[in-house]
Amino acid sequence: MFQNRAEALALALPAAIFAGLVFLVPVILLLSEGFRVADSWTLSAYVDFFSQPLNRAVFLRTLKLGALVTVCAAVIGYAAAFAIVSLPPGAKGRMIGLVVLPLMISPVARTYAWIVILGRTGIVNQALTAVGLTDAPVRILFTETAVFIGLLQLFLPLMIISLISALENLPKDAIPAARVLGANWFQVFRKVVLPLTREGVVIGGTLVFTGSMTAYITPAILGGSKVLMLETLMYQRVTVAGDFVSASVIAFILIVMSFAANSLLKSLATARNRT
Amino acid sequence: MTMQRLFAPVTLALVLIFLIGPFLVIVAASFSAGDTLAFPPQGLSFKWILKVFTVESFRQSFVTSMFLAIGGTFAALLLGIPASYAMSRYKLPFAETVRGVVSAPIIVPGIIVGLALLRYFVVPIGLSITLALFLAHTALVLPYAVRVVSASLNNLRSDIEEAAVLLGSSRLGAFFRVVLPNIRGGILSAFILGFVTSFNQVPVSLFLSGPGVRTLPVDMLGYMEIVFDPSIAALSALLAFLSVGIVFAAERFLGFSRYV
Repeated sequence: MFQNRAEALALALPAAIFAGLVFLVPVILLLSEGFRVADSWTLSAYVDFFSQPLNRAVFLRTLKLGALVTVCAAVIGYAAAFAIVSLPPGAKGRMIGLVVLPLMISPVARTYAWIVILGRTGIVNQALTAVGLTDAPVRILFTETAVFIGLLQLFLPLMIISLISALENLPKDAIPAARVLGANWFQVFRKVVLPLTREGVVIGGTLVFTGSMTAYITPAILGGSKVLMLETLMYQRVTVAGDFVSASVIAFILIVMSFAANSLLKSLATARNRT
Repeated sequence: MTMQRLFAPVTLALVLIFLIGPFLVIVAASFSAGDTLAFPPQGLSFKWILKVFTVESFRQSFVTSMFLAIGGTFAALLLGIPASYAMSRYKLPFAETVRGVVSAPIIVPGIIVGLALLRYFVVPIGLSITLALFLAHTALVLPYAVRVVSASLNNLRSDIEEAAVLLGSSRLGAFFRVVLPNIRGGILSAFILGFVTSFNQVPVSLFLSGPGVRTLPVDMLGYMEIVFDPSIAALSALLAFLSVGIVFAAERFLGFSRYV
């Protein structure tokens, strides 16, 4: 450990000043814009924002899709993570690699694939028509369902990875012991697995929830202007109406959500270090 | 009992189809000979893959994205390596505040960073679009650079550089001759992580892109609203192979996953 404070500051300050000027100050100024109307501090921009039915609908839809994606990712994630940890070591490594692989691919490319699959002439519609379930193509693109599917595919890997590391720390005898003592599979999950992997599912859940809440590409491609979420609404307000006050309100909502999720993760991390 | 034995393979197959399947569909669609986007593809041809290289705006935005990903990550490392070194080897005053400020861009959604930068930095000062994008991408990659370099500095024993200083080397000489060669893998990993993050990033660049200067993913978003041919599928497939190839090579030669 070197003691020279001047040297330490000279090394660290360029990065800190850069992040402060390019990032911190502009973001704070943008956020303050939503609290200032005619040179006085007020919440009227927030009252105005939530008094409009469209804004309320977008806010609620963003929360709803975020929650729905998180719950489904947790259910599928547990099944997938269980299956993966039960594999022999070599196969396990390859499987984890395959689960992580989509994270490396551009989200634009990944989301665009769903246009090919869910579009009017896509696989799903061709299959439905071939089986005879529908005569005309079903509209799936530009619905909440399409956005939901896109978000789930985008963020499921994060949940699976978090749950794999949680399940690997589960004592090997815990599940057989509970089974021998007469618990059914549902009881085993609720009373044994869930409490012991709570941390993993909370970490995965926070990543999936904040990721879905703050997604731009998926709702932009698969939802269009019909299924707006907070970020696509923000982009539309700025580019179509030059409405920076609404943009500031949305920015504040998104930042509060992200910071709340982040501090939850941090507190979990420190709680684990203490024990 | 058979149901339980089937559970694992069936679950994994379904999850993999859901996660990887769309990617395979994109690859297949990009070899189509037809003029509209369809799966299964009509006939087999390379015409859409070749067409990608002839679209002028894709060529320009690819160069822009490459410049931002390489230049931005390089700048982030120039700022991030000394800062990480100060935080790991010195008694830095307000170390936690500094760490918080340099890592904050990772928590705040990119679209907000882009809008704030545009409205309160780029417009008042009158910066060019390219420079604005460069600053935004540097800020975006900085947290990753600091995190990965800090991790590899913390894994390196600090007494060897103290020994070098005691034996008469200057502090700077000890850094370049003792520390830097030992954290090379971490720095390269940070570079690759930063490159992939910056190259795939959309929301930060959304507001900052202007007439003539766009990043590749933003250009693709605009293009796909107007044109419905398989060229975006072809480009998506090419980009996917590029990112996966880079990460795979990094894992192979550097043991990438040890650092990130």
